[in-house]
Amino acid sequence: MKYAGCLLPTPEVLARRSFLKVGSLSLLGMSLSRTLEAAHLMAKAGKDAGSARANSCILIWLEGGPAQMDTWDPKPNSSFRPISTNVPGIRISELLPNLARHMDKVSIIRSMQSLEPNHEKAVYYGLTGHRPTPAMDFPGVGSIVCRELGRINHVPPNIVVPAKAGKQHYLYQKGQFLGPEFDPMLVGNPNEKDFQVPDLSLPKTLTREHLEDRRTFLNLVDSYYRKKVQTAEHAKMDRFSQQALEMITAPEVRQAFDLSRESEKTRDAYGRTSFGQSLLLARRLVESGSRFITAAGHDLNGWDTHSNNDDRNIKQTAKLDASLPVLLEDLHQRGLLESTVVVVMGEFGRSPHHNSKAGRDHWPHCWSLLLGGGGIEGGKVVGASDDRGAYVAERRVTIGDLFATLYKAFGIDWHKEYMSPIGRPVKIANSIDDETGQPVSELI
Amino acid sequence: MKSPSLVRILCSCVTAAVLVGVWTPAEAAGSSTVLSLSLLPEEVILSGPGASQRLLVLGRGADGLERDVTSQSQFVLASTGVVQVDPAGRVTALMAGETTLQVHMGGLTAQAPVRVSQEGVQRPFSFSRDIGTILTKRGCNSSDCHGGVKGRAGFKLSIDALHPRDDFRWIVQGGVYQVMSPEAASPVEPRVDLNAPDRSLLLRKPTMQVPHGGGERLAPDSTDYRLLLDWIRRGARYGEESSEAARKIRRLEIFPSEVILKSGDRHGLVVLAHLPDGSREDVTGQVRYESSNLETVKVDSDGTVRAGNPGETTVLVRAPGHVVSARVGVVADVVTDPARIPSRNFIDDHVLAKLRKFHLQPAQRSSDAEFLRRVCLDLTGTLPPPHRVREFLASPDPDKREKLVDILLESLEFTDYWTFRLADLMRVGHISTGMAEHGHVYWQWVRDSVATNKPFDRMARERITAQGYDGASRHFLQNGVIPRPENAMAEQVRVFLGRRLDCAQCHDHPYESWSQDQFWGLAAFFKRVTRSEWAGFGTALIYDDPEGPDPDFGAGPDSKKTIHPRTGREADPALPDGSPVPAHTQTSPRQTFARWVTNHPWFAEAAVNRFWGQIFGRGLVEPVDDFRSSNPPTHPRLLKALARDFREQGYDLKQLLRRMVLSETYQRSSTPRPGSEEDRINYSHSLPRPLDAEVLLDAMTSATAVAQTFETTDKGLAPPGTRAIELTMPDLYPSDFLDMYGRTNRQQVPERSVEPSLNQALHLLVGPTYTERLAGEGSRLARLLDAGASDGEIIEELYLAALTRYPRPEERDGLAQLVQRSSSRGEGLRNLVWALLASREFANNH
Repeated sequence: MKYAGCLLPTPEVLARRSFLKVGSLSLLGMSLSRTLEAAHLMAKAGKDAGSARANSCILIWLEGGPAQMDTWDPKPNSSFRPISTNVPGIRISELLPNLARHMDKVSIIRSMQSLEPNHEKAVYYGLTGHRPTPAMDFPGVGSIVCRELGRINHVPPNIVVPAKAGKQHYLYQKGQFLGPEFDPMLVGNPNEKDFQVPDLSLPKTLTREHLEDRRTFLNLVDSYYRKKVQTAEHAKMDRFSQQALEMITAPEVRQAFDLSRESEKTRDAYGRTSFGQSLLLARRLVESGSRFITAAGHDLNGWDTHSNNDDRNIKQTAKLDASLPVLLEDLHQRGLLESTVVVVMGEFGRSPHHNSKAGRDHWPHCWSLLLGGGGIEGGKVVGASDDRGAYVAERRVTIGDLFATLYKAFGIDWHKEYMSPIGRPVKIANSIDDETGQPVSELI
Repeated sequence: MKSPSLVRILCSCVTAAVLVGVWTPAEAAGSSTVLSLSLLPEEVILSGPGASQRLLVLGRGADGLERDVTSQSQFVLASTGVVQVDPAGRVTALMAGETTLQVHMGGLTAQAPVRVSQEGVQRPFSFSRDIGTILTKRGCNSSDCHGGVKGRAGFKLSIDALHPRDDFRWIVQGGVYQVMSPEAASPVEPRVDLNAPDRSLLLRKPTMQVPHGGGERLAPDSTDYRLLLDWIRRGARYGEESSEAARKIRRLEIFPSEVILKSGDRHGLVVLAHLPDGSREDVTGQVRYESSNLETVKVDSDGTVRAGNPGETTVLVRAPGHVVSARVGVVADVVTDPARIPSRNFIDDHVLAKLRKFHLQPAQRSSDAEFLRRVCLDLTGTLPPPHRVREFLASPDPDKREKLVDILLESLEFTDYWTFRLADLMRVGHISTGMAEHGHVYWQWVRDSVATNKPFDRMARERITAQGYDGASRHFLQNGVIPRPENAMAEQVRVFLGRRLDCAQCHDHPYESWSQDQFWGLAAFFKRVTRSEWAGFGTALIYDDPEGPDPDFGAGPDSKKTIHPRTGREADPALPDGSPVPAHTQTSPRQTFARWVTNHPWFAEAAVNRFWGQIFGRGLVEPVDDFRSSNPPTHPRLLKALARDFREQGYDLKQLLRRMVLSETYQRSSTPRPGSEEDRINYSHSLPRPLDAEVLLDAMTSATAVAQTFETTDKGLAPPGTRAIELTMPDLYPSDFLDMYGRTNRQQVPERSVEPSLNQALHLLVGPTYTERLAGEGSRLARLLDAGASDGEIIEELYLAALTRYPRPEERDGLAQLVQRSSSRGEGLRNLVWALLASREFANNH
């Protein structure tokens, strides 16, 4: 099937559009008290004021790699037409009509260049800034942010949602030599019925009193061994046990993950998909005190359009366009966009040509991403690709530059290097050719 | 005090330690009183007039510690003219000859023979020794400075002046190091200015005449500054290769190599360089000292060690091309009355010697219950059932431990467990071999090897050279794809030689003397490995194709060639020492590689260290596969002795394990004696260690008698009763529990991390493993209840099943009371089961 530059929206898309036009504050269930709560949390974080405004980051991970020319960098070699946006001069693909109304909130970088052409290595590279090597494992950007800024409250600071068995991106967000306390917490698919975070709430058969009873038993069973054998591990485990108990019993943690506290309308507005509900959960977590949420719910690998690129892109972008603008608007209305960086990216872009199966293949040489919030300016375009979106034409931006931008928004010194246990210096914003990444000055 | 006849005797003895002293009871009263003197080094050998050598005077006190008393000693020469000596103990040669140096201190005397050879000191200029020494001592070429892989701020040096030719080029010609090319990038800026030598960057940077990220490293009035300036004035030449060779350091020796200090003490070090002509040179002031733990020990640039908090650490000594280390222990209190612990084999000899030296008290022998649990877990990964625990504890047989070990070594559980261990090490799995059929035959090879107690060197050779459809050959089919030669080689080296070479893939190894050329020479042994075309399941044939593997589909003919990335040339097989490699026209080059691996002294050392780490909870080198000069073993002599024994016993794994678990060292209690609580590396007591994920899960199954089921993603079930350690391809079975507790990903060489985590703590409180598996139908608890057991009987049985011991009276009574006070009996007993499983005692092997 060919879509000669013309997209016929499905009835659902049309319905959602009209809904959003009406949709606003009240539909999203915003209340004044929640705004105050969020403001209070930010104050508690005690961040160095300076120019840094970000407290949290939502990384929207489009695994598989979206085609730049069919999304935010429209080109003649796309089957889809460009449309104008609410920022004069910025045009994006007609597949993203809702997003087009929110371009003032995020900027587009059209000159991303990365190094790895295969998924696993590229995901690793995109999340750590380092090419994989058997010599060592590098910490993920989320764990670095958490390590540098610490946690805000009992809410887990580093989250991957949803984390599916067999998918590895969560491995790459690990703290590695920074220590397991910076590893992300893995959360299931929030769009599933009875979604509950395992091990974070009491099963129905257990009450808090039960837990207390059990601890009485445990104290008795453990006391002999703890006297007999002394190890630093006891204290470590005690600290974690205490934290665990606090988390399980702290209302803010349970509430952070409790999507049932959102109105049905809000849940519908975000889209009843794994992607939409992940974004909604991400917003709740930002409000509650998480630092870094990797929202990877977008049909894992769905963007890997090796065949029927155009058909599949229509499906993929429909989901993206249904949920992402809702998140941006919601964050904005709650005053959270000021302090929340939003990054929308995959591990690479896609080839300028269609292959023999009408698909597009992996393309790390030039691709695009969205970036905004947390003091990073929206409504701008950084860099440019050539006329086919194949190579960087102007102002290359690397993963290291992206990380440096993120760190600057958080008030983290992007020049920082860690020492690995064997004494290898590790740049937290590692760019191509061992350069230190530099913040994208056009945006921050 | 001194006896002339004794002096003569000692003078005639060139190697003997000189140790003379007169002991009086009055002097022994205080610990600071010196009872005997000794000298380090024990003799002074100087190569010609002008050469000099420092001596340390050590005084042994009543507390057994040797203190550095050099500064309080007087030096007297038996005859004048041959050498002179200064008050700090530095002996300088005047002419060829022999004499004796006498040292007096506190009424004691010691002496050392002194020899000055005829040869005058020949010290032709050597770039590495004269310039490289300064760059090393001043830290310019350390790994976090210009010695980093790519250098720093556009200026690259090799770490510890390992590659003087390269350093010379970077200094004199300039240019920026590039990883993937032998060409230097611009700016090509020389660091020396021959027209205005004192304007050279090499001098202006470290003196901060121009901004320098590394700060001031050199004072303009220092000797080193003058030496550098003179060198540039003379034309900044590399010098002759022959003088470079003549003065190249062969080996460094450090005196003393082990030091025990009390907090606050100071102690000198002397470092000697051995040169190719057999002569020695005192380089104490020309090396760089690094303490691995600054809280325990600080070292001044002249080699003075200053003791801080109690502990044990390593002092690394860096000189051009070499690193050596001394172990330094700092004790709070000395042990004057060491516990009498018998030695059962050479393991105990070595461990006890170090414990005595470091003033640590070994713990008591473990109780039978402690030993039973530990040895069952270590040899079989399995908890003994309650009736076996009762039987063992009740047996009066004095040899019951030996008999138990023999039974365990021949048990089926031993085969299960060590198959699991080695399958982990060798990455047996589904993804790691591409498909279940591959994983299964590979697993079967491991299992057969363990079941027949195949010599470990044979196992290594079989794996490295595997071809055809051999089980072991399947590991060359990672995801069905032959790994890159460099990855295949580095993996074998890490698994069998305990070295991590990966760094050298992209650049010379930053800390070790591994060059990138050596790396690619070794990698090339694997460049012909290929597989036959796909013709259905299990058909991929592994062989060495002299033509090399086919190029990647659609890529150029060079796509599968093994190209040295820096030179851009195809790499050929070469052994690191440059020894000739036979032409591999008929045979697989991997056979040469396999012989090199298993004949190398490192092979046995790496193997015994790996198994030692498994049995004792910590390797003599830790991590167990990270041998390098900057990560020295805690017991170097023990490591050598174990390796020799392993070789002599024909690489017999069972024999090695038997030696280990029957040593008194292994059989110590995990309860430390006072003063040894902080010890983690000297085996003064058994180290508690968390159970590995699989073993922990199986222990829960055996304690509760509630079977665990394992389900693949497509809903296939492992046969009922399968234990976690019996899963042939664990990567087929998703398990949050196993992931959370750190099972390895078998796509990589295993690195287990079983650190406690928040996720574990959460899971323990409310996770399904700890809530749903306590007491269902058929469980141990349910069966006891059905049989009408009393609370006391149930408590006892559960203790035996989970903790391998009887409950203590206060535990039995206290828990019985808690059960009675619970809302229901069932509720109380379920709480008890949970508490046992959640306890630290259960989760640890101790």
